[in-house]
Amino acid sequence: MNAPAHAPATALPPALSGLVWKAGALARPLRSGWPTGFARLDAALPGGGWPQGAITELLHDEPGVGELQVLLPMLRTAPAERWVAWIAPPCLPYAPALLQAGLPLRQMLLVDAATRPEFVWSVRQALASGACHAVLAWSREIDPPALRRLQLAAEEADTPLFLFRPLRAAQQASPAVLRLRLAATDDGLDVFLLKRRGPVADEAIRLAVHARFRSGGSTHALDCPVPARSAPAGLHAGGR
Amino acid sequence: MAGALAVAPDLELKPRERRLEQETLEHLANWAGRFTPFVSVAADDAVVLEVSRCLRLAGGLTTLVHALQEGVAGLGLTVQLAAAPTPLAACWLARTRPGTLVSAREGWQRCLEPLPVELLAAEESTTNPDLDLLRGIGIHTLGALARLPRDGLARRQGTRLLEALARARGERPDPRLWYEPPERFEAHLALPAAVSTVEPLLFATRRLIAGLAGWLARRHGAIDRLCLELEHERRPSAVVPIATGQPCRDEERLLLLAREHLAVLPLTAPVIGLQLTADSVVTQAGRTQDLFGDAQQARDAGTLLIARLRVRLGPDAVRSLDCRPEHRPELAWCAAEPQSRPEPAVGQAPRQARRPLWLLAEPRALPSLDDLTPVSGPERIESGWWDARDVQRDYYVARNRDAALWWIFRRLDAPGGWYLHGYFG
Repeated sequence: MNAPAHAPATALPPALSGLVWKAGALARPLRSGWPTGFARLDAALPGGGWPQGAITELLHDEPGVGELQVLLPMLRTAPAERWVAWIAPPCLPYAPALLQAGLPLRQMLLVDAATRPEFVWSVRQALASGACHAVLAWSREIDPPALRRLQLAAEEADTPLFLFRPLRAAQQASPAVLRLRLAATDDGLDVFLLKRRGPVADEAIRLAVHARFRSGGSTHALDCPVPARSAPAGLHAGGR
Repeated sequence: MAGALAVAPDLELKPRERRLEQETLEHLANWAGRFTPFVSVAADDAVVLEVSRCLRLAGGLTTLVHALQEGVAGLGLTVQLAAAPTPLAACWLARTRPGTLVSAREGWQRCLEPLPVELLAAEESTTNPDLDLLRGIGIHTLGALARLPRDGLARRQGTRLLEALARARGERPDPRLWYEPPERFEAHLALPAAVSTVEPLLFATRRLIAGLAGWLARRHGAIDRLCLELEHERRPSAVVPIATGQPCRDEERLLLLAREHLAVLPLTAPVIGLQLTADSVVTQAGRTQDLFGDAQQARDAGTLLIARLRVRLGPDAVRSLDCRPEHRPELAWCAAEPQSRPEPAVGQAPRQARRPLWLLAEPRALPSLDDLTPVSGPERIESGWWDARDVQRDYYVARNRDAALWWIFRRLDAPGGWYLHGYFG
């Protein structure tokens, strides 16, 4: 043996360099991801975007933190013959707002799944059909075997699944390749990377969403008449 | 029969059902329509397929035979199969030497020589005394028969025997009446025993639907609804209507839908038979495969997905969205029927202030505004005095303690108060 006893960990044979992933570096998957539309998020994700054909978990507790904002750029690129499935959303996705956000409204497919087996079944069908650009699903409770089945279905059909789960799900192990925790801030959205194929990321990535509200929320004068009566004390508009 | 009963006294005897046999043959002929349009039901135990014109498409005789055998096994039938340049020779070979594949080469007729003369008995023109005579003079095979002096034989027997032989050897034309698929598909399947679980029904349904798919391929047709009837003993049969959403002739797709329908069906009584009927056929050209794009394929997959979800979850559980030109937020949207070819939304993007991505079905009364910080507003929405759903509200965007954005409003009419109406997701 001619090799030194303590070969430096970085000295991999060149033939292996593309095949071995070192935990200190971001993984470079064979297939690049869908660009998220946020440059800072793209830079932090393996493959430079949302993983294709895999589960991405988005963890947050209450609606309104900007959880859909992170997906909007990706959903806008849905090709005309594919659906975007919304399975068991917590409230009604509001059509005028979707249209304002530039989404192809008639390609949204809303699915009500009342029970947990129906939920898992619907998600699997939507994934396996190969007819969906992306599947968005909201689940309070889902057991690990079901998650694994969904991951397999997503891989097989090469369709991304975005699974919205409550924060306490962070304690559970999950086969998802990417897990993000979302937290709203006063000037945007903080994204914490709980799990990715890459080094541990401690710092949150701040995304500028809802930018319009920070600029004073001005609307067209005709659309937004000044109220005749004074607003009650305690709530005043446009403080910033 | 007496001998059989002597060996096995508890043997159960059932009369032969010619009608069922004929039905099965016709079912097979229907199904075989997918391989070639020239199918004929020969005698009472054979189906003849004319494949010389479609061998190239099928990828050769051996490939075709494999596909046939696999398909037939899927139907739950077993066949004896043989190929020859003339229909009669193929029938004879299938009866005596199944598996023989003879292609049209010089002198192929030699393969008929070792076959027994009894085969001629199946032809209507041959009578038993003819055969007795042949056996009497020591002729047991077709080869020996062919070597007899023709004119002498013709004088004694008429031309009946020779004619059948000549047709089998391809020396005389042998026109067949091609099987015409009926206008309306109706297939019946009697189950061997009464069934009270869904699994065996699925298998039986596969057989029926395979026949349906062949019938459709033959007619260049597609259907958008079919009807499956489950027959019960001494009860009216249960009818399961199946809608495909869009005309289709794909066997897998029809089967998937039938499976979903059966899976949610409560079986009230044992089933003794199945009946599949389909009419209202739409003519549909076959599809050429695209080298690159699969847009149509994705559309079809979408239609199938919607149909499957609807069977299991109910027709109202799957829908799409559209906008309506309306100022009242709860009326500015509507559910839309998912289209197989989505059109651009009818409504225009509202030029109003930002709308929240989530809307609550019913506005929720807010007991207090303590935790909320205003972000923008107000936006007055006052509309609908002409119908009973008058709305007078001032809308605000506010952040709650966790910095989530809420869409809240204050009622200007009685009884007033603050309400949460949506989230900026």
